[in-house]
Amino acid sequence: MAILRKIKERLKKVMQKEIAPAKVKGFFLRKAKTQKIKSPQRITKEVLGAQETAVEKTKFSTPAAVRVAPAMLQELPWGYGADKIVLQTRDPWWIHAYWELTSQTLDRSKERLGDVFFNAKRVLRVYDVSHIIFDGTNAHRFFDIEISSEANNWYIDTGGPGRSWCVDLGLRLPNGEFITIVRSNTVYTPIEGPSWITDEEWMVPDEMFARLYGMGFGLGRSSPVGKAWQERIKRALFSGILASPGITSVTSPVKIPKLRKFWLIVNTELIVYGATEPDAKVTIQGKEIKLRPDGTFSLRFALPDGKQVIPVAGTSADGIDTITITPIVTKETR
Amino acid sequence: MNKGYLCIVLHSHLPFVRHPEHEDFLEEDWLYEAITETYTPLIEVFERLLNDKVDFRVTISLTPTLISMLSDSLLQERYLKHINRLIELAHREVERTRWQPEFQGLAIMYLNNFCRARDTFERFNRNLVNAFKNFQDLGKIEIVTCGATHGYFPLMDICRESVRAQIKVAVSHYESVFGRKPLGIWFPECGYQPGQDEILKETGIRYFFADAHGVLHGTPRPKYGVFAPVYCRGTGVACFGRDLESSKQVWSSIEGYPGDYYYREFYRDIGFDLEYDYIRPYIHPDGVRINTGIKYYRITGSEHKQPYAPHLAREKAAEHAANFMFNRERQVEYLHDFMQKKPIIVSPYDAELFGHWWYEGPMWLDFLLRKIYFDQKAIATIHASEYLYENPRNQVVTPSMSSWGWKGYSEMWLQGPNDWIYRHLHKASERMTELARTFSHINPDGLLKRALNQALRELLLAQSSDWAFIMGAGTHTAYAVRRTKEHVLRFTNLYEQIKSNSIDERWLSDIEYKDNIFPNIDFRVHQ
Repeated sequence: MAILRKIKERLKKVMQKEIAPAKVKGFFLRKAKTQKIKSPQRITKEVLGAQETAVEKTKFSTPAAVRVAPAMLQELPWGYGADKIVLQTRDPWWIHAYWELTSQTLDRSKERLGDVFFNAKRVLRVYDVSHIIFDGTNAHRFFDIEISSEANNWYIDTGGPGRSWCVDLGLRLPNGEFITIVRSNTVYTPIEGPSWITDEEWMVPDEMFARLYGMGFGLGRSSPVGKAWQERIKRALFSGILASPGITSVTSPVKIPKLRKFWLIVNTELIVYGATEPDAKVTIQGKEIKLRPDGTFSLRFALPDGKQVIPVAGTSADGIDTITITPIVTKETR
Repeated sequence: MNKGYLCIVLHSHLPFVRHPEHEDFLEEDWLYEAITETYTPLIEVFERLLNDKVDFRVTISLTPTLISMLSDSLLQERYLKHINRLIELAHREVERTRWQPEFQGLAIMYLNNFCRARDTFERFNRNLVNAFKNFQDLGKIEIVTCGATHGYFPLMDICRESVRAQIKVAVSHYESVFGRKPLGIWFPECGYQPGQDEILKETGIRYFFADAHGVLHGTPRPKYGVFAPVYCRGTGVACFGRDLESSKQVWSSIEGYPGDYYYREFYRDIGFDLEYDYIRPYIHPDGVRINTGIKYYRITGSEHKQPYAPHLAREKAAEHAANFMFNRERQVEYLHDFMQKKPIIVSPYDAELFGHWWYEGPMWLDFLLRKIYFDQKAIATIHASEYLYENPRNQVVTPSMSSWGWKGYSEMWLQGPNDWIYRHLHKASERMTELARTFSHINPDGLLKRALNQALRELLLAQSSDWAFIMGAGTHTAYAVRRTKEHVLRFTNLYEQIKSNSIDERWLSDIEYKDNIFPNIDFRVHQ
């Protein structure tokens, strides 16, 4: 139980940090990543994930290929001729935007704004649109990211898990006015810890219920029990869900092998070869070998240290003549 | 009476790699290696268990791309050629190591492995899908489906029509292969995006798996954590969360079982170790050294690797199986006390981890399933569908977006080296939806229908998460980049030809021959 209490306390701490109100105001937001407390869940996940990646990579083992693939006959286009910006969620903190602006659209802006166009900053305006239907003016808050005219995608640190985001790509004029060129879809960054909502709703799917009903079983083993018990469970299990109970696994005594910088390997092999009549029988160290159609043979052995006595015996097809030749090889390594 | 359940999930997947236009294609080896090192050993484990009347349950996801490759006659033919060459090499190795008994024993072991793999392959008429189907028909294995080409769904959310196509194509492919509907699905990369369970409901899929934080960070907070399924709000599709502790014991390369010093070392292969002229006929025809699968050393734990000793490794595998079982027993007893109902522990692994990366993995699984059946009473293995049948009342929760990839979200597939692909993939999806809407009512036939169906094939092939994964992992990305571009370009050309009513039949026939996956695909599903 001590372990349970510890987990619970750690969790409490983590969660208090997590809900500290995100300080998101004004134009620029760059929340320092290091301030974030990582939940135990997250740490395990990252370590495990990296290891899984390493293992999964071996599925696609391809050596440093010397072969040169033929050139592509065609390349993918730079764009598809439409004004568009698309947002995707990378993780609880970061979203990714990619976009394309057509030169016609930019030309139109240039015409309309004249010289001001050249003093305008190209920006991504990131709106927090959690729990609202965004109409362009009702965002909880927003911040701008200045981008260069060559950029066509951007990773945005939202600083806020559990929120919804929408991004305008537009121009910010020297007088502060913002002109939207194109608006993105809305995405949601997932929460990074357990939900604070604990209202429980339970369900038996209709067809399952029909089956149970027909069998006269009532609601089965998982029916709700006494309130006191439920209270206890809620507290106790809550620790249980983050980490399995204090079970220590037998860990293998494995350390990560050190990376070698310089190395040398020397091995020796011995080739025993010869020839005889194609229909003769040949044995090497008493073991019969297969001749090539022209009567030649060639065998190759890994050669360890020590003395090898290698009798090679050839017998004519009629079994009358036998010749034995015995090379003796001594290998030593210093 | 047992106190809880263990649900072992083996996710088997390889991207569609089939190049009839090349005599010898390096990346096809991914399949051949997996057949020799993972699929046939696993099949043999299940056969032995059946033979010995051990009752067991294992869930296996077979992706439609993998099923298609295992059933493809060209690849079957090529596998035979591949395994025969390996057998020849193993024979030569037995001979070469005559004066080194510690290695000769291993050479004989590999020779036996390869011959057994070939036998098993032949016994199921060269189509290993038959083997898995048999086990499913016997109730021991539940085969779940996956995305048609293993597209990563959270990064397809902007065009859900593509998610729908991935799932619908997979479901109808599953039905045509297994003669029944899939009950469950393994989301590619375990990637879940809230709301996409609606598509599961449409297709009659009852459950899926999510990573631990997908369930634990669900709203409202799941009362039983990952140890009982939850129903997704709005759809009632069940979601089973992964148990991290049991995962870590097997996955982790540092503290996990596969890192044990007595186990075989993956990175020392004779394809790299032996003298060039000797090994030359068994590596790539271009002369590039590659893994052959013959590996003589154990992990050892130091730079001077010791020869692998199979009997010691076998003992370790038995010990680790006992340890895994012991930990699950304690876990289940503990959870049962709190939950007052039987918990389910979901332990999903990449199938290719077993045998390929972790040579002793299949043996470990064999020991584990035997021990669970004979040696204890606290846990029993179960299929997710059986658990739902027994425990139909579950909490309603909206799971959180999540994946089992690096860092737990989408970063593996959305980072510097691979983020450029999405503007092209999304555009192609948008265009495919346009085609499906335009031509659905017309009921096209002949050339137009062929072009539309091929367009969907090309789009699906471009969406395989493997390409983004390989680019993200950063080594030898050329093939992955090429495949992405090639399929998008083929799609774009088809789109333009269809729109301008100028389909080039010869070219269409050529890409139908190359990308021949899903012969019965129907472009209408992309809506």
